[in-house]
Amino acid sequence: MWVPVAGLPPLLALSALTRGGRFCILRFGAARRKDVLAGNRRGLSDIHPQLLSNVGFGKSSSRVYRCRSEIKRYITSPRLAETLVQILQGKGDASQLILECNPGPGILTQALLESGAKVIALESDKTFIPQLESLGKNLGGKLEVVYCDFFKLDPRSRGIVTPPVMTSETLFQNLGIEALSWSKGSPFKVIGILPTKSERNTLWKIFHDLYSCTSIYKYGRIELNLFITEKECQKLLANPRTPNLYQALSVLCQIACGIKVLNKLPWSSFETYTTNGQLEKQKHRELVEQNMCLIQLTPHRDLFTGNLTPFNYDVFFHMLRQCFMKRNAKLVDHLHSLSPIDALHILKQIKKNKNVKVIDMYPQDFHCLFETIECSEEDTCKWLYDDFMEDVIL
Amino acid sequence: MSALGWGRRAAGLGRALWPAGRPRVLAEEEAFGGVGGHRRSSSASPCEQDRRKDWGHAELLEVLQARVRQLQAEGVSEVTVKRVVVARAPEASSAQSPGKARAGAEGAAPKLSGRWAQKLDKEQRLMQKRKQRLEGRLQKRERTLAWQRQLRVEPRLLSGRLANQLQRWEQGAARSPWEEQLARLLQEAPQRLSGDAAKASAVRGSDVRLEGQRQRLLSFFECCLLTGHLPLAHHVLVTHHSRSRQQRLLTLAMYNMVMRGWAREGSFKELVYVFFMVKDAGLAPDLLSYAAVLQCMGRLDQDASTVRRCLKQMAQDGLQLQGLFTAVPLGEGERAELLRAVRKAEPTFSPPPPPPPTPQLNTSPLLREVYAKQGCPVSYPRLHLPLKKLQDLFQQQLRVELATTVTVQSVEKAQPPTEEVLHARKTLADLRATWETALYQELQETKASEARAAREGRPSLFPYLCLLSEREFVGLLLQTLQALPAQGESLLFLAHELGLRVFNRHIVQRKQLSKQVQVLEQHYIKYLHLLASDTQVAERCLPRQWWEALGMPEAPHEQPWPVSVLVQLGKQLAEVLVQAVQMPGSLAAPRGPGSLIPVLYHVYSFRSFRQIGILKPHPAFTQLLEAAAERTLTFESTEVPMLCPPLPWTSPHSGAFLLSPTKMMRSVEGTQQHQLLLERCPPAQLHGALDALTQLGNCAWRVNGRVLDLVLELFTDKGCPRLGVPAPPSEAPRPPQGRQTPKSGLLPDLSPADKAEMRRELARRLKVAREMQSLRADALCRLSLAQHLRHRVFWLPHNMDFRGRTYPCPPHFNHLGSDLARALLEFAQGRPLGPHGLDWLKIHLVNLTGLKKRESLQARRDFADQLMEDILDSADQPMTGRRWWMEADEPWQALACCMEIARATRAPDPAAYISHFPVHQDGSCNGLQHYAALGRDSVGAASVNLLPSDLPQDVYSGVAAQVEVFRRQDAEQGVHVAQVLEGFISRKVVKQTVMTVVYGVTRYGGRLQIEKRLRELHNFPQEFLWEASHYLVRQVFNSLQEMFSGTRSIQRWLTESARLISHTGSAVEWVTPLGIPVIQPYHRDSKVMIKGGIQSLTFSSSGDTSQKPNTLKQKNGFPPNFIHSLDSSHMMLTALHCYRKGLTFVSVHDCFWTHAADVAVMNQVCREQFVRLHSQPILHDLSRFLVKRFCSDSRVSKSVWASRLLDTLLSVPKTGAFDLEQVKRSTYFFS
Repeated sequence: MWVPVAGLPPLLALSALTRGGRFCILRFGAARRKDVLAGNRRGLSDIHPQLLSNVGFGKSSSRVYRCRSEIKRYITSPRLAETLVQILQGKGDASQLILECNPGPGILTQALLESGAKVIALESDKTFIPQLESLGKNLGGKLEVVYCDFFKLDPRSRGIVTPPVMTSETLFQNLGIEALSWSKGSPFKVIGILPTKSERNTLWKIFHDLYSCTSIYKYGRIELNLFITEKECQKLLANPRTPNLYQALSVLCQIACGIKVLNKLPWSSFETYTTNGQLEKQKHRELVEQNMCLIQLTPHRDLFTGNLTPFNYDVFFHMLRQCFMKRNAKLVDHLHSLSPIDALHILKQIKKNKNVKVIDMYPQDFHCLFETIECSEEDTCKWLYDDFMEDVIL
Repeated sequence: MSALGWGRRAAGLGRALWPAGRPRVLAEEEAFGGVGGHRRSSSASPCEQDRRKDWGHAELLEVLQARVRQLQAEGVSEVTVKRVVVARAPEASSAQSPGKARAGAEGAAPKLSGRWAQKLDKEQRLMQKRKQRLEGRLQKRERTLAWQRQLRVEPRLLSGRLANQLQRWEQGAARSPWEEQLARLLQEAPQRLSGDAAKASAVRGSDVRLEGQRQRLLSFFECCLLTGHLPLAHHVLVTHHSRSRQQRLLTLAMYNMVMRGWAREGSFKELVYVFFMVKDAGLAPDLLSYAAVLQCMGRLDQDASTVRRCLKQMAQDGLQLQGLFTAVPLGEGERAELLRAVRKAEPTFSPPPPPPPTPQLNTSPLLREVYAKQGCPVSYPRLHLPLKKLQDLFQQQLRVELATTVTVQSVEKAQPPTEEVLHARKTLADLRATWETALYQELQETKASEARAAREGRPSLFPYLCLLSEREFVGLLLQTLQALPAQGESLLFLAHELGLRVFNRHIVQRKQLSKQVQVLEQHYIKYLHLLASDTQVAERCLPRQWWEALGMPEAPHEQPWPVSVLVQLGKQLAEVLVQAVQMPGSLAAPRGPGSLIPVLYHVYSFRSFRQIGILKPHPAFTQLLEAAAERTLTFESTEVPMLCPPLPWTSPHSGAFLLSPTKMMRSVEGTQQHQLLLERCPPAQLHGALDALTQLGNCAWRVNGRVLDLVLELFTDKGCPRLGVPAPPSEAPRPPQGRQTPKSGLLPDLSPADKAEMRRELARRLKVAREMQSLRADALCRLSLAQHLRHRVFWLPHNMDFRGRTYPCPPHFNHLGSDLARALLEFAQGRPLGPHGLDWLKIHLVNLTGLKKRESLQARRDFADQLMEDILDSADQPMTGRRWWMEADEPWQALACCMEIARATRAPDPAAYISHFPVHQDGSCNGLQHYAALGRDSVGAASVNLLPSDLPQDVYSGVAAQVEVFRRQDAEQGVHVAQVLEGFISRKVVKQTVMTVVYGVTRYGGRLQIEKRLRELHNFPQEFLWEASHYLVRQVFNSLQEMFSGTRSIQRWLTESARLISHTGSAVEWVTPLGIPVIQPYHRDSKVMIKGGIQSLTFSSSGDTSQKPNTLKQKNGFPPNFIHSLDSSHMMLTALHCYRKGLTFVSVHDCFWTHAADVAVMNQVCREQFVRLHSQPILHDLSRFLVKRFCSDSRVSKSVWASRLLDTLLSVPKTGAFDLEQVKRSTYFFS
């Protein structure tokens, strides 16, 4: 939901743009805090009211596949595939349903199928599809191949959805998968490799979906098994003891999911293809030296039993983003622009010192802070946030 | 080494050029007994310095060291004295005399010989005198203001030589008067130019930032002068000068400004200090500097010889004495003093007479007839109001503008004042009283802290905060608070708005103080004689000509503050507001503690990785405002139409509102380039634009009361979105309790998925509610203004955008708005319908319904006759009858037209019926009309009605038909998409794309448009959307190519030229056929950041000329902008000729309005002028201009781009064979 003309009520925006005489269009810029993480600073530029339709959720679906420089990694070693199957199956039952994202040449797919699992392969690259389909035929119907990009399910912009971008509704309807209630668990598992270039954005999208119970999470507490870079993995696991890596995503992740690091592999275990299916020479040494982690994210069953629900999760998101924009500041300073409730009173309730800094707060503390404000006695106004300021991510 | 040698040679050359018998009256030679003969001891020119190096380097060092010691000894008294004087800047006392500071705990003074020693001796003898002088100075200073005492006066010079000179002069001041020293100083050659050049190239990278800082600094000095803080300005100048890093920020303009300030006060000593700094900075004084010096001499009544010396030096610097009086803008008094000084030296001198106001004539061939004295008869229209009435209206408008704001009764339905309402109003009133005091205090504290910052040498906001009284600032802030929307306002926007308001108020106040208001009043009354209905003037002429003949002295126009200053000031004020305004916590939570809580909160919103600061009122405050239901709206005086005829435009910055500054050309905020271009234009060249704007603004309007009644009835009731009347918030799908009480969202028995669904529903509702609310607020503004202006006559002053398209200045209520807004307006001046007026009314009505677009005029009129019953019914019972009007394309205008027709037909003699109703004539796809005429495309011209024809042609249908032809061919050849598309190609599918092609839509954008249309077709197989839209957009472009071959090649030529021009590093510029210079303000974004305070603000501007042009925008923008500059030229020509014929004429770009009786005349003028315009060799003129502008520069022409550019520019596209004269006979060209 994109609000037209950033930060301006339409009336005044209008008057500013059509005003007579002495001035015309001023462009509205964004604030910038000094100690924003470098990673967050990348997209920081100014907002141009005229061009707004293009920012925000950005790529309309029709444009997504214009950019062909995307590099994808695939598992090509049968031995690695074996190991992964063992890890995934564990002691669980062998005939479960597994959603494999971008299987590529299908090495892991084959191993999974051989272990007895049912597999749905969501492949976003058309070149691999015939190969996968023939694999399915050989192994007798336990494989379904769909031309679909898992990481771009349910785009937020409401452009036309053309494959490989799909809505989860059509996808699961076609596959005949029924939603399970939150407490029941998940109808399938997901395994895949996070797209290298947009790792962080994809993670944000995943947590948005998780907290709002939309997209795949509408179908239950889906367990994700994802390969991500070691760096990003460390960030997800960070807490005040590793302040340099600690960020809003860490809090979101640790509050929402149980995290297990299942395996760690050097980058060289994978093969990199450009999207045309060509084998890519590994040029970037720093990438080559990086390790990949396989992590398992299982949403907590009791995530929504408190006051944090899909109804108000966006306030929680907003709170975290604001706090981590100026992470070395005192929490009390942030509270002033978050809630009109007396900040010291809140701190007392969550049993924190008034000098506590943002990076000293553990994920649980943030959760507790949110719940405290949400439960506070004051009726009229708990948060200064409203939908007008809705966060826009991705 | 070579540099040194060169220096010597050059110096030698310089000496050789000096007149032989040049008198050398040298201050220190007198003071020190003339030791050293003609060789000046402290050197004035580089050559002598060099020579000294040769012969006396060692000795010099020795002497200097000794002098240091000596000064240290004597300095005890001085330094202590100075500590008192410069208490706040202790470093300054040491900085003042660098010689002193460079300490030497060296041995005792060795025995010295030569003239240096003698000089030292001499100085020791002067010690006593100096002490006395210092003590005297101290006493004098103590009498000055307390804080001024801490300001620095003496500069610290970076050049040691100059510093010595200065010091000695200071010491010798008792005997040698300051002005002599100045004369000496004048002879100093600027010496650091080369060094500066090197530095300049080094800092090239940070040019933009530097330029921004300079602007801010200059603006600071100017503001200091305005508010009488000259010593402060001087202090900041000195502080900056003494730090080499900051010195590069200083420009000659700043030194000149401070000097001029001192000259006005007649403070010669400070002036000389500044002059020292000018020299020290290596700048060459210009006319302004000399004007200041001479003016000061005039004030102090200096003797002739000094003045003469000064004049002489001026001549040597290559500056003309006459120039002082012609090229320097001077006030009356300044001029007199300057003349007095000059007369001392040259008693016979008389300043050149001011250039006679020669009525310069515009020479454009297009305008020859407009300005012809003879030939066709002139019958300029007059207003229908008598002089007395107009004078009265002027007084009303003047009062409004002096008050700077207008309070208007809201048209929202009045609530009966219940207990609750009264209580809320009382609470609010009490709170406001407290806030006033709090704001007052906070402002004073801010002012004090800014003053401290200035005293530390920073160009702070202090002088700006002195521009208005605290009371006015408080009023402004409270007004801002009142108008803050419930969901908050971006801090940047708020800050900019506040800054602008302060600027406007300041300008109005200055005009008031400088007695300009009285002068304006006298002239305006005389001006009204031209317009009033009951006056006679000797010669009929245009309003601008009349105004110029009245000889109103042109007020020096105020340079607007740089955007960064505006925003900085605004942010400071916003911070004051946030800090000061508080309310009891009990308002928010009745049970809560009794402490005070802030009313405004600074919160953030995130847009992806961008963060936007927002000021948001506490919900309790919003509730209080709602509860109090105060029924007033406050507008700035410039947001409201004028109550008297606007001032005629006489220059790019004077016209329109009486006092509030208005620019003739608006552009992206912060851009100066177009203003510079306009100012550089010979005045006569702009006459066409000035007169056209004046004429559009001179149209008197009134509110259509009956329509307003009906609209208000709907508005205060339930609204009617279908008719463009927004519904009240009560109609909005309001979420039961909103986010603030998400109890419903917390129900434990709901599953997370249900809650997610609830959230989505809530968000949907909130969005709808918010949109409704903003529409409602917009309509409330417009209708309240309409209600306010009911029963009045008002005017809409006009200005134009950077391409020459005209717009009314008041934003909320004007004829450019929606159907509803247009229906509320009619001409204040009536005209009898005449024999054909009624027919035109009927045709206009049918046009408004949009029903008979493809029928002839005759058929449209007959259609109206058939419907007469419905029309009369609509007019009589608009809300209760058959409501035929509601089905029209433009319902409200149709209704107004129905009413007018009803009145006219029922009048005893319809031809004599006085009609106020504006009738429109629309160009059919005006952009393509201009392209077709430019390219002389026969097929295209026919399809956009440039050719006479019995029925109106429709270009969209034409294109659709052509696309269908292509499709059929492809389908036969087995192209699958073409087969799928069978039966789907219609006018509607292609319309938007064809329309926007003129405005530069690309294939990409065109495909999206077509995709949207196809999606709306229910039976279209959606899986082919992408393919089909892709195919169609290609065919549309091909069809256009087929029909408008000339057009496409012109478009390509323009685009390619713009691309190449942009690559050579310039922004595209051209001159419209009427002579308006146009420059495209598209540059790469430059960012300006304002740090500090509650939030750092960053804004980017694309108008920064120091940045490289943005090639993409330059190239995509050129074709549409060029066409717009043509259509605006056509409109202006039509306007001017209509005015000459006595018609009332206004326009909405390509839609021309006039009285029903005059439609035929206007149509004729419109066609004639179109033909005239396009008979000019427009493209060849453009090509010539571009070649001259961009290819003549020898420096640039070496590049590859330049030669390609020249080739492109010279190959002007060929045109077709269309005969332009046919347009004159085309009925449906504008219809």
